[in-house]
Amino acid sequence: MTAAAPAPKANLGQPVPRYDAAAKVMGRATYASDMPLDNPAYAFLVTSAIAKGRIDRFELDDAKRVRGVIDIVTHENAPKLKESKLFSNGGYAGTTIQPLKSAEIAHDGQIIAVVVAESYEAAREAANRVKVSYSAAAPSATFDSPGTTAAAAKGQNSQFKEDPKVGDFAKAFDAAEVKLSVSYETPTQHHNPMELFTTSCAWMGDNLVIYEGSQYVYGLKNGVAEQLGIDADKVRVVNPYVGGGFGSRGSMTPRTAIIAAIAKRLNRPIKLVPTRDQGFTIATYRAETRHEIRLGASRDGRLVALRHEGAEVSSRPDAYCVGGTKTTTRLYACPNVDSLVSIVRADRNTPGFMRSPPEVPYLFALESALDELAVKLNMDPVELRRINDATRDPIDGKPYTSRSLMACFDEAAKAFGWSQRSPQPKSMSDGDWLIGYGCAATCYPTQMAPSAARVRLQRDGRTRVEIAGHEIGTGAYTVIAQTAAERLGVPLEKVAVFMGDSDLPPAPVAGGSNSTASTCSAVMMVCDQIRQRLFKALMPNDSLADKAKETVGISPAPSTQAAKGDRSLDIEKAFDALGVGVVEEYGEWKPEGAPLDSFRAMHNGQVRLVGGHQMKDQIAYAFGAEFVEVRVNRFTHEIRCPRLVGAFAAGRIMNPRTARSQLMGGLIWGMSSALLEATEIDERNARYVNDNLADYLVPVNADVPGVEVIMLSEQDDHINPVGAKGLGELANVGTNAAICNAIYHATGQRIRKLPVRLENIEL
Amino acid sequence: MPDKPGSRSSGFDRRAFMAGAAGSALIPITARAASEDARAPAAQDPSLPVEVTLRVNGKDKRLSIDARTTVLDALREHLKLTGSKKGCDHGQCGACTVLIDDRRVVSCLTLALAAEGQEITTIEGLATDDRLHPMQQAFIDNDAFQCGYCTPGQIMSAIACVKEGNAGSEADIREYMSGNICRCAAYPNIVAAVKQAAPEIMKG
Repeated sequence: MTAAAPAPKANLGQPVPRYDAAAKVMGRATYASDMPLDNPAYAFLVTSAIAKGRIDRFELDDAKRVRGVIDIVTHENAPKLKESKLFSNGGYAGTTIQPLKSAEIAHDGQIIAVVVAESYEAAREAANRVKVSYSAAAPSATFDSPGTTAAAAKGQNSQFKEDPKVGDFAKAFDAAEVKLSVSYETPTQHHNPMELFTTSCAWMGDNLVIYEGSQYVYGLKNGVAEQLGIDADKVRVVNPYVGGGFGSRGSMTPRTAIIAAIAKRLNRPIKLVPTRDQGFTIATYRAETRHEIRLGASRDGRLVALRHEGAEVSSRPDAYCVGGTKTTTRLYACPNVDSLVSIVRADRNTPGFMRSPPEVPYLFALESALDELAVKLNMDPVELRRINDATRDPIDGKPYTSRSLMACFDEAAKAFGWSQRSPQPKSMSDGDWLIGYGCAATCYPTQMAPSAARVRLQRDGRTRVEIAGHEIGTGAYTVIAQTAAERLGVPLEKVAVFMGDSDLPPAPVAGGSNSTASTCSAVMMVCDQIRQRLFKALMPNDSLADKAKETVGISPAPSTQAAKGDRSLDIEKAFDALGVGVVEEYGEWKPEGAPLDSFRAMHNGQVRLVGGHQMKDQIAYAFGAEFVEVRVNRFTHEIRCPRLVGAFAAGRIMNPRTARSQLMGGLIWGMSSALLEATEIDERNARYVNDNLADYLVPVNADVPGVEVIMLSEQDDHINPVGAKGLGELANVGTNAAICNAIYHATGQRIRKLPVRLENIEL
Repeated sequence: MPDKPGSRSSGFDRRAFMAGAAGSALIPITARAASEDARAPAAQDPSLPVEVTLRVNGKDKRLSIDARTTVLDALREHLKLTGSKKGCDHGQCGACTVLIDDRRVVSCLTLALAAEGQEITTIEGLATDDRLHPMQQAFIDNDAFQCGYCTPGQIMSAIACVKEGNAGSEADIREYMSGNICRCAAYPNIVAAVKQAAPEIMKG
């Protein structure tokens, strides 16, 4: 047993190796741009060099002279495409800025031409020979730039319905014994998944196949069909493996329909491999945010007033926002809460979800502020959180389905050695290094969405599971295979899983950490349909059949309970009784509280997520606690983070190996959001400056000396049939605050703007 | 890069990369073009295809390609060996790492013409009769990947890291594996995998 495969605890599944492990280490896992195409032409994008204005003229002669050039598509000759609404307004698109539609430029790096050639090299050369004349206007880049407009998010964005509030904040804050009023900022960040934003399109007659890394094949299929004005059944999106998503591939980008339309016009498969820097502007990103936090507390540490005001940048046409106040107003028990989210419009591409979209920036503010309050109260920050631990949602009064926040704090504190901390800032050191310990809470809403699945069982136990889920590195193949094997009582190696193909039964977006709960619940339900058929064949007697219905676990129960012991089933006998060679079942599962149109929406590529604070009678979140050690060099001010320890409780852990890896990667993402990652913006030109992997700092191996992940046993029977809470977006939340809290402890300096670099340290 | 094995820059540390690459990686190509008159006609019109024979995973592959084709694009687009991945095309991420004459090289910054006559080993060339290379097995055992996109490059780099003698400690492994970005951040598991496989690889 290696560290990678922790020993199972109660309500933790088996840490089996990844289903796709061999394919991945042998180079046999086929990502979108690995798919073979018959005689493809290669596309290369030309993107705008201005952020605002219009194109006056293209000079294409030089580009057209490049040997092998087939076509150059600009707004003057582009295929006409239909508009798609923003996903948050019932559409599929991550932006409503549609390139190649007119001469107008809405942001820097907007696609303005597509060069198609016989080879990648020729397409690239010709793209570099396209000359463009612009009439440029002065763009508004970000907060405080002249020409931006700001307005409350409520009313602008159908997904942001309400600014949570309860009680009388103003009165309670006025009267509070201890008050804190502070501001925080988080930067622009780009997902930068390792796989580029490639798209290949091939037509066979009227049928289109798209190879593209996607976190939502049904959304992409329906969105492209809408833009092309064709029947969605004519479009198939295929991506059995996705080279990282982190939210960047959740909604449709404009490139896909453009490439599809050009492939149709040229009657030839087209392969687009955009560059890394183009990825910064042709997809989405995490927008910069600002926060004002006000906390009022009694001297014994009880919160009496909490106000969180957030501001986020979006593009001119699209009112995207993450609105993390839905979480920060509910995390701690506080009787008087107020909040407000506003959106600032600038000349930028439209932002979108990036791993834990609301929680990363908003909990940075709240968890930093709590640490500041603990200092004011002269109190241990862990104890401050214990005093304010909530059993109910303070806004709506609903109980948490389960909440192990303080258990996580206690386990992580113990593993970390929190008791060794001397509370005074600048009181711990090792030679030239000032040492700081810090901690913070994390949480993430437990979400589910309707999902379908098809399962086929053969007499010899071979099982085929079909579901249009997505393997973005989470371990989706693995936990789905485990679910089917366990439920049907067949050996794991006999289960084959097919995903990443929109011709398979629909699954929701791989986003919002809903995949495991949704897809495994669907697979479990369909396996139960098979079990029921088999049991009925073996027990024609009615009363026994009823018994079978009960024992095969039709009622929502954690999968372990129904798949054990005397409920095992002689498959061969049952097949003989049925007189068939194959049993196949299809089913559609939806979580409790899903809207009436759920299944229709599911087939149309629209997600109906339920969970979090939007459940009817309860509120469901996963929780965790994170502890970090930072070392700040007293002379060079270099900041290092030698230790990250996190303890997490997320209901049933389907596979502790894949879960641990996700949580570990999350902790490193959290460290990165504190110390490394920021997209720098040239404010004069509203342009991303560090748009490559050398200048946009992501962690490398040397940045990550020690990470410890602890998974707590937690059972929650109120959330979904498999009892799992999503955890892919749990561990990278709060880490940024824990690190700033540790930097304060090391140096006495409170840093409220991310990322923290050595030039921000003043000693 | 003509570094001695074990030298600092042979680890393709991305932060030191530009200094190293600009100085060394391009020189052999220029030198070759100048010294071989046979290439002169192609040099006049670089878009005319040129003939090149690449030795990949022990087999000679004859190609007619654009002279600007990188080893990476030659593998992926012309030889259908798609195990090596394009993550940046700038030598910044390491996803395209292959072994050329047993040295780890970012194939996106190496022209195919410059690799003629050398032994190119890709991820597809590691397993024999479906028996995994010890580094591949170690990556599975230690769950050293999530999405898997950087994995072929990590594994090729890791094998070279061990053979260079840079896998003697966890700190060394972290340092000398820092030219390969893993956005899923499987880093601690990658270190564990390299540590596990190192003795067997050194044994040969």
